[in-house]
Amino acid sequence: MADDNKVIIPIGPQHPSLDEPASFTVTLSGERVDNVVIGIGYNHRGLEKACESRTYVQDLYIVERVCGICSHSHTSAFCMGVEQLAGVTVPDRAEYIRAIVAELERLHSHLLWLGVAGHEIGFDTLFMYTWRDREKVLDLLAAIGGNRINYSVNTFGGVRRDLDESIFAKITATLNELEKQINYYLELAQTELTLKARLSGIGCLSKEDALKFGATGPVLRAAGVAQDIRTAEPYGAYKNFEVNVITHTAADVFGRTAVRILEMLESIRIIRHCIKEMPEGAILAKVPRRIPEGEVIVRMEAPRGENIHYIRSNGTDKPDRIRVRAPSEANWHGMQHMLKGEYLADVPISIAAIDPCYSCTDRAITVNSDGTRKVTDWQSIRKYGIDWYKKRGLDMADIRLERGV
Amino acid sequence: MSNEESKVLQIISNFPNLDGRIRQIAPKRIFTDPLESGEFHQLVSYIHDEMGFFRAHHAVGVDDGENLGFIYIFSDEDNTILAAKQTVPKENPEIESLNKLYPSLLLHELELADLFGAVISGLPDVPHYPLPDGWPEGSYPMRKEWKPEYFNKETMTYEPPEEVQKNG
Repeated sequence: MADDNKVIIPIGPQHPSLDEPASFTVTLSGERVDNVVIGIGYNHRGLEKACESRTYVQDLYIVERVCGICSHSHTSAFCMGVEQLAGVTVPDRAEYIRAIVAELERLHSHLLWLGVAGHEIGFDTLFMYTWRDREKVLDLLAAIGGNRINYSVNTFGGVRRDLDESIFAKITATLNELEKQINYYLELAQTELTLKARLSGIGCLSKEDALKFGATGPVLRAAGVAQDIRTAEPYGAYKNFEVNVITHTAADVFGRTAVRILEMLESIRIIRHCIKEMPEGAILAKVPRRIPEGEVIVRMEAPRGENIHYIRSNGTDKPDRIRVRAPSEANWHGMQHMLKGEYLADVPISIAAIDPCYSCTDRAITVNSDGTRKVTDWQSIRKYGIDWYKKRGLDMADIRLERGV
Repeated sequence: MSNEESKVLQIISNFPNLDGRIRQIAPKRIFTDPLESGEFHQLVSYIHDEMGFFRAHHAVGVDDGENLGFIYIFSDEDNTILAAKQTVPKENPEIESLNKLYPSLLLHELELADLFGAVISGLPDVPHYPLPDGWPEGSYPMRKEWKPEYFNKETMTYEPPEEVQKNG
């Protein structure tokens, strides 16, 4: 108890409603949040320090692992910075491939978020639908890069994978399916009164406060600010075509939901455009191993917002300093503000609404007690799940994952 | 004259001491040389109050050997980035917080304190970030002389050999 009328509730760092380690010390006045102290940093991995003692090429693999969702965003920013320092121009075809992968990343990130949001408000059907659809995007990324999350498409001077007509056909077919689904989610958000009532008026962050606390991405755009680095400071392929910046005026969790759903439709439009206008030619320019002395600040639009990399080079093959400011880092300040005055029951969805970052992977490695390792693939995990339920009298083997809504 | 050049000129006309120490290094990028605390804070107040640099994105620490550098990254409505650098001696790295002017800098300044050992006045009383409780006093992992091989995760102690301590 804080005083006669106030109760302090510690949430996290390990808590069922949190997907990542963070602590929220919530002071309540009745059911309302009076104050929140956010504790983060439980999983600081020292990646920036690690980068200083490794070469740029080795760092590329570290930077890719800054985020389990936006891996391409971080390598894009890092590559753009190194390319600027080296004075290298990336071939147009590589820029378009980077943009396609970036938009696929935005799609799977927003689908993931929509599922988490559904789960947080007890709408688990939405969670199951969106995560099923996200699998289709991850399958495309696996087909492009050989992996679902760390696709390793970027390298200095361009991309490591060229795309051909067969993959374009596959992307196009999947986008056609996804577009129908996402339009359905849009209709759901606009017409399903329960959903709208649950998400409206909570997690509010006004335009003034969003700017004051440095909010970014869908959180900022849902407060009515048309700020998107793809148009504010166009980079790569985005210099060649228009991007429609999606905004909303609700400035609450519902607004963030609407922005993300509409952004997915915009991503689909951009990918189709990039495939149609895909330039011919090389996908890679030569970049020297030693990067000339200098410093650079790179901005790009990741799914969660503005991603900034500061790179300082010293003329060797190792950077002097790399500093990554991921978008979630910018949104924490505003989140603390938006939770004040909320009902305790709205705290989980309000936290989720900034889409704080967490890692995921499809391949679990189990270490047995005798020290041997076993790598479990997706199909095996699915079979394990089906068998687990079957033992408990529920047979899910006949459920077709491809069934439409 | 580009937009960025005119902003540089406006700053120089108000702060003649910055002539030759602030420049446009790329489109939409203005960088300063490392500045002393007084001139740094005068510049930041001016760009905040008079030039519309309302966004503070980031504060980056750098180890410059004898000195520590703290690079604050701002932007305005045109999305011009201004990177203002402050330099302080490593022996006495005292700086003033900009958190009151730019609340979005809180986490970044906490990082400068934990990882670089910046002694920052004017920060609110908030939990440690990002290093864990029990981290050894006076051990600043982003300084160049700090080597991960001398840190013991089990005992949470940092014990470099004597010759390393002497030579840095």
